[in-house]
Amino acid sequence: MELVKKIGFVLLGLFIILNWGLIMSGIIRKIIARLGMRRGIKVFQPYINLIKNYSIRSQISHGVMFYLGPVFRLSGGIGIFLFMPLIHGSELWSNFSFTGDLILIAYFAFFGMLGMALGAGEGGHPYSAIGISRGLAQFTAIELPLTLAIISIAIQYNTLSISEIVAAQQGGIQNWTLVTNPFATVAAMISFLGAMGHSPFSVVMAPQEIPIGPPTEYHGTFLGILQTNRAILHVIEAVLYMNLFFGGATNWGILILKSFLVYFWSVFVGMVFPRFRVDQSIPWLLKLPVLIGIIAIALLII
Amino acid sequence: MVSPIYIIAILLGMAFMLGLLSKSGTRIAGILTSVSLALPVYISISWFIQILSGNADAITIFTAGSVPPFSINLVMGLEEAFFTSAINILGLLGFIYLSADLKKQGVRAMALYLVLIMGLNVVVMTRDIFNLFVFMEIVTIAVAGLIYLKNDNQSKEAGFKYLVAVGIISLFFLIGIGFFYFYGGTLNIDGFIAANSVVVKGATIAIFFIIISIILELKPFPANGWALDVYQAATPGVSALISSGTATASIFVLYKLLPLGSEIWLQILTVVGAVTFLGSNFLGISQKNTNRLLGYSSIGQVGLLMMVIGFMPQLGSAFKMIFFSVFISHFLAKAGLFWLSGIVKKESITDWGILRGSNIALFLFGIFLFALVGFPPFPSFYGKWQMVMELAGTGRFIWIVIILLGSFFEGLYLFRWLGYAIKGEKSNEEKLQIPWDKIVPPFIFGISLFIAAYYANSMSVYGNTINLIPLVFILLLFVIDFLPAYIKNTITIGAMVYYAVNLYPSISDDTLRVVFAAIFLIGGILTMIAGYSVKGKRKGFFPFAVMMYFGLIGLIEAENLFQFFFAWELMTLGSYILIIRGKFSMKHAFNYMLFSLGGAYLIFLGIAMSSFGNTSLDIGIIGLSTMPGWSYTLLAIGFLTKTAALGLHIWLPGAHAEAESDVSPMVSGILLKGGVFGLIVLFLAMGGEQAASHPLLYSLGWLGAITALGGNLLAVFQEDAKRLLAYSSVANLGYILFALAFMTNIGWLSALTYSINHFLFKTLLFLAIGGVVLRVKTHNMYEMGGLIKQMPWSFIAVLIGIITLAGIPPLSGYAGKWLFYNAVITKGWYFQGVLVFFAGTIAFLYCFKLIYSVFLGQPKDRFRKVKEAPIWYLIPQFILIIGIMIFSARPDLVLKPIGALLTQSSYFPSDSLSWENVTASTNLGYWSGYKIMLVIGVMFAVLLVWLMYMSRKTQKVKQFNIVYAGERPFTPETTHFSHNMFSHYYKALGFLSAPLATRFWNITNDITHRIADGSKRLYTGNGQTYLAVIMAYIIIIYLIMF
Repeated sequence: MELVKKIGFVLLGLFIILNWGLIMSGIIRKIIARLGMRRGIKVFQPYINLIKNYSIRSQISHGVMFYLGPVFRLSGGIGIFLFMPLIHGSELWSNFSFTGDLILIAYFAFFGMLGMALGAGEGGHPYSAIGISRGLAQFTAIELPLTLAIISIAIQYNTLSISEIVAAQQGGIQNWTLVTNPFATVAAMISFLGAMGHSPFSVVMAPQEIPIGPPTEYHGTFLGILQTNRAILHVIEAVLYMNLFFGGATNWGILILKSFLVYFWSVFVGMVFPRFRVDQSIPWLLKLPVLIGIIAIALLII
Repeated sequence: MVSPIYIIAILLGMAFMLGLLSKSGTRIAGILTSVSLALPVYISISWFIQILSGNADAITIFTAGSVPPFSINLVMGLEEAFFTSAINILGLLGFIYLSADLKKQGVRAMALYLVLIMGLNVVVMTRDIFNLFVFMEIVTIAVAGLIYLKNDNQSKEAGFKYLVAVGIISLFFLIGIGFFYFYGGTLNIDGFIAANSVVVKGATIAIFFIIISIILELKPFPANGWALDVYQAATPGVSALISSGTATASIFVLYKLLPLGSEIWLQILTVVGAVTFLGSNFLGISQKNTNRLLGYSSIGQVGLLMMVIGFMPQLGSAFKMIFFSVFISHFLAKAGLFWLSGIVKKESITDWGILRGSNIALFLFGIFLFALVGFPPFPSFYGKWQMVMELAGTGRFIWIVIILLGSFFEGLYLFRWLGYAIKGEKSNEEKLQIPWDKIVPPFIFGISLFIAAYYANSMSVYGNTINLIPLVFILLLFVIDFLPAYIKNTITIGAMVYYAVNLYPSISDDTLRVVFAAIFLIGGILTMIAGYSVKGKRKGFFPFAVMMYFGLIGLIEAENLFQFFFAWELMTLGSYILIIRGKFSMKHAFNYMLFSLGGAYLIFLGIAMSSFGNTSLDIGIIGLSTMPGWSYTLLAIGFLTKTAALGLHIWLPGAHAEAESDVSPMVSGILLKGGVFGLIVLFLAMGGEQAASHPLLYSLGWLGAITALGGNLLAVFQEDAKRLLAYSSVANLGYILFALAFMTNIGWLSALTYSINHFLFKTLLFLAIGGVVLRVKTHNMYEMGGLIKQMPWSFIAVLIGIITLAGIPPLSGYAGKWLFYNAVITKGWYFQGVLVFFAGTIAFLYCFKLIYSVFLGQPKDRFRKVKEAPIWYLIPQFILIIGIMIFSARPDLVLKPIGALLTQSSYFPSDSLSWENVTASTNLGYWSGYKIMLVIGVMFAVLLVWLMYMSRKTQKVKQFNIVYAGERPFTPETTHFSHNMFSHYYKALGFLSAPLATRFWNITNDITHRIADGSKRLYTGNGQTYLAVIMAYIIIIYLIMF
């Protein structure tokens, strides 16, 4: 009974996150359009896209791995969701976070990436492979400031459990990691830019040169799955940063607000800055952001 | 008992008799000579046996029925009997070997030969100094005559230089005898000693001249140019006699005459020996001429023997055993090698590939070389070990360094030579002609080496602790080498299973050992299964595979450092031969051997330093070392050569990549763990947790981190699939080193998890890629592509392998990563840790490149019809996959007992991992492998079913049906994005992959060879220069002494 209840809440949480992800991406695209002096899409356009893609009848496949790629990708997204505690203080909204800690989430992110890379690889399109090679290469450098930040907060809170990290930040904004450990926050937020794939780190998808990169060959249901995943993943990644640096959430309202703001940060930067090439972004990430991360650790151990 | 005087009588008598036979009677003369050479063998051996068994006493013979000083007296004691036996056996076999040449020259040449052997016998037996002189002259003349056998200008010149040089030396000897008689009033050695004439002022000058000329006869470096020319110019059969025969007699003369002089002579001899051993072997390293190279080695070995004699007082009761083992190795191996050189008839070692024409010859060549370098179980291994330990006991480390350095140089050129023999170019037209009379002598000497090994083993105080049964099994595998491979494979696997079953009870309470034993033995069995796909006989593979595995297991079973080192050397030797079997492996195997030898000698030195001040050789004495800094560092660097830490890694990529398909997993997934086990032994001996703040560990931690980064970065830029995996091994061993250096409970757990994982996934990946390579016949990934359709099972294996490698949950790689984070944060090595995590993300790049370039992307036309990898490759792969799955789901099954051991055995009592059912937790975090797997599995299945339902009408399309702006791509080759896939990454971080280590070692190598080459100019080939050097040598020794 306990388990059924748990699964019920997990599915409900997933449903909320998915819908919020779709709406959020609609809002964001609207904002981007307005900044570009366009009218932009409807806010519900992501729903329309999703329904359209799932309904397309004619679909082609390039092989088993091509087929499995989206499954891996969505498993990756949902998996992170499953291991993430959502609402502080609520046992029911903590999902399956009792099976693993922050490190599990950090590494499970690769699950989807790898599956997607393989699926796209079997598609046989060179642009897919180019996109993946760029993505993986850039990703190594993006992870570095985040790793430094994670170690920094693990030292700070002496735990790797996300729930405990959130718990430690309760009691007002002065207890947030943002305030208590600003360097770690800055390093991680730079890393977040890379993870979200907006400018200046958008060379992976680069619609203008390698038509959306890895998912080039995907269409119909496959693309629908990828879009579903993106909606979930964007929110849940924002939730992760919210949990680690911005005090977490004690109710859904705060979760929605904070995740929007965290995600919006990447959109904001993306609107202002042009795109890096891979060989530019990596050295850039390995300089200042890494230095900030090192300072974040150094301050704690001195 | 036949009186030894008959040795002389028979040989001399026959020599005269031969003169009576006409030239047409060479056949009969040959038979008569053989018989007359065989009789002394019988006489001397029977004396040796009788005296040894206590049935007879040494006898003294007085010729002419009178006592000294009016007669010449000969002694046949134990030592004399031993040396005359050696000389006479050599004489007989050498005659058989040379008989064809001698017959061509007629009976006079045979007479000369008889005189030589007779002379050597007397030189050994005589106690009369003048008589000694006379017979040494006889020997000289006989040798010179035999040098001329070859009858070309080079040998004439060499023979002349020999006569002049030895003439000068004899002159000094004669002067010495003059003084000897003047001061001692006797020509008898015993008489001189009895009269205590040593103390007479002035007698020292007599002794000086006598001993210095004997030393010069032994061709000390650098006053030995003439000898090298002789070795090079003479026919190899004669060189064998000079190297093993006259040198034997001379070294005994030295031994015999030493009591005449004072203690200082021992010191002089030590220095002379050391300079010779080191110098001669050093100059040998760039030598390509076969016989000259053997000359350098001969001189070097005699130098070592001089050192042994020089250290007689320090070596004490071990002297006999040490001398015996070093001497017998040199004696048998050097004669054997010269003989083989005469069969091969190739001046340059680079042409020795022809030796492969004969299995027996190659086998003999191998064992002679191994015996010379001092690999177990050959005698010199025991000898060198004992000698080093005795010297270490008295703190003479500089001398140990000299011995090891000299041995290293010797190993260097000998293994280069072996490499050419095993892998060098070989033309098909040339056939190796082996008449029976040429192969029997080396064969007998080869067998004798094993007998000598047995005796050395039983004489050594540590010998009885060595389990010889596996060695016998290895030998047996050589004997049945003619059988088809699958039979031998089955026998080998059977033996390994049997061994595993028997081993388990004895180590079952030590989980650490069980884990490594499982890696070695189960890994061994699995990789051997892949061997069933090899057709034919697979000659020479199985003995060495077993040797490697036995060596690895020996590391685990070792109860003391001797056994440990014994096993270490066996493992090295076995793996070297396995590696060199690859098609293009010559250079890489040589590099492997160089680093392994260097590493082994560092370990040896480390052990020696640890033993100083300790009475036992228990492994624990490392921790009690009185010079812990030195011991630890040397041992650590030694082990790191095997684990290929950055800087010492340059041998690995080539060695692993070019090895045969089923050997790569052996040497990568399994062999490297030998080094890891060495480190574990070292770190435990250092004291576990108490040593955690040791500065050495701190630097090893950094080294591990940098290795991880460097290895992964280099792997990213490879186009060769196996090289990619090899560099990845470098990195993974870096992780392990890093984690071991923590010296905390969780650190070690993560190191062991990494070790197990690396074994599982790297063996899996190498097998899978090896299977692919077998089919597509190339290592280049960009030439492959789209193979998933032809090789689905291999694809699954690689997929599982890379998921584990990358540490992605739910597979067991993640266990390692999670433990790692915890360990890093608990230990406080944040920045090193970050470097390692950075390296971890870089691993994704090559994981993707590997699986994508080989199995995904665009299939090439020429591989459309390739088949799936052989079933024998797939079976072990899927067993390994099952292993990965079990370890992923239930890591507690392995980690719990290891954790318990680490905690309870007081190695690492604090900060342990706690288990609650399947959930592991530390102070920091928690993780439940089983539940994670469950959650992910259910979710994945649900999504898959959903997708299958949603896309049930999917059509399959052809290769080029892709979104390509309405066009079709040109060819698969231009559409497969693989070559230089990470060029952008190279642009960003490529500077970190600059081959600094390779450059460093190349420069070192270059400089060493240049110095060696430059120093060789000392040997101008000019007889006058040689004489000048001899004179200078005498003067320098004189100045040192007085």
